[in-house]
Amino acid sequence: MQMIVIFIIGVILMYADMAFTGFSPMTMFGIEVYFVPKLLFMYILLLTIYAGPRISMLFAILFGVMLDVYIGSLYGIHIFGFIAFVIFMQTAFRVFYRDFVAMAFVVLLNTFLFDLYQYAVYSVLDFIAMPFFDYIALRAIPSVLVSALFFVILYVLAIQTAKVRKELRRIN
Amino acid sequence: MRVTKFFNRNRMLIVLFGIVVLIALIGFSLSDRDSTTKAEQFTGDTVAATQKVVDAPFSFIGNIFSSITGSFSALEENEALKEQLDMLPQLQADNERLAAENEELRESLEVSSSMAYETVNARVISRAPDQWLESFTIDKGEKDGVEEGMAVSTSEGLIGIVTRVNGKSSFIEMISTNASQNNMSVEVRHNDEAVYGNIRNFDTEKDVLVVENIKSQVKLEEGDEVYTSGLTGAFPEGIVIGKVVEVENDEYGLSQNAFVQMNSDLNDVDNVFVLKRDPESLED
Repeated sequence: MQMIVIFIIGVILMYADMAFTGFSPMTMFGIEVYFVPKLLFMYILLLTIYAGPRISMLFAILFGVMLDVYIGSLYGIHIFGFIAFVIFMQTAFRVFYRDFVAMAFVVLLNTFLFDLYQYAVYSVLDFIAMPFFDYIALRAIPSVLVSALFFVILYVLAIQTAKVRKELRRIN
Repeated sequence: MRVTKFFNRNRMLIVLFGIVVLIALIGFSLSDRDSTTKAEQFTGDTVAATQKVVDAPFSFIGNIFSSITGSFSALEENEALKEQLDMLPQLQADNERLAAENEELRESLEVSSSMAYETVNARVISRAPDQWLESFTIDKGEKDGVEEGMAVSTSEGLIGIVTRVNGKSSFIEMISTNASQNNMSVEVRHNDEAVYGNIRNFDTEKDVLVVENIKSQVKLEEGDEVYTSGLTGAFPEGIVIGKVVEVENDEYGLSQNAFVQMNSDLNDVDNVFVLKRDPESLED
């Protein structure tokens, strides 16, 4: 049951991510500003804490493959990133205390690092030529801000989906 | 302390193995493939199908809103369009007559045209969410006759290349991504002369395509039109790409480079055409 709920929410978040391409990049004062929230990625990271690393690893692999095959020009970039960051999240939370602020900080930091990792791979392969400071100012910071806006919703979603399992166990 | 603990021997090995797999996968996806595997097709089609289902209610609501806002300006638009329409029957008749004449002449010469093509109308179902490499998925695939390497254009001009074909959806890379161009050959027309050049890359700062290796004999000017040359893969000839906005000599002064503003709006792609080139002209 929980698996199905997580899967449906994941799929909807994936399409929400894609929907953002409809109005980003936005032109503000003649400069193109990119908003790239990573809702699905944040949701998977939160699942690591609330639903357990196994489940989140399973969905990291599943959605990683889906994104790679469906929309990726380079195979492996999503799946590797998802798995690596789920492992990272797991180890990070042996260090951090699990409260809301620490959680928000770590998850948003991870979204930033994930985008940075994609930026690094693509620029090494010479696919993109965005100067680093432009990247930080016009892409990384706006994206993290948008992600922060949606973080609260995802936080509630993750806790709710984690509860699905608990309730079912009580019934069983 | 923690770092050394995290990178103990087993974990280290797994991480290294992962990186090796990643590099292998990148190599695999960079290699020139001319077919899409069944597994890829299946995954692609499943995601595309679910996306269409999830999209349906949203686009329904969106359509209602846009038809309400559209109805305000509909009357004026209607008038303007009617005026344009008056000339249409004559133009259509002329067009048909010319096409028939052209066909007759070509038959008598026994040549096939590299300009002839058929179009498949398609709708864009999604854009890549990470917004790095500009790519999108359309709702037509193998069953509608789409194949790898075909040109994709909007009503304004060329926009991309089909890179993967699934059963009922396909994956398009825009020519503004540096992953897709592969030195595509283009034709620049200045007055009545045509010169050839190659697309080198897309300049993201100026939002222009850089075309290099253009002969210096013909001096290009701002406003010259750029078309596909028909020498690249399955691209038909004469598909408009854009206009020259700036010309400069290359560093050795042997050829010129042109900066080309693309006609299609890269950020707002909704309906596209896949261009199927007349197979007869591809045989040689």
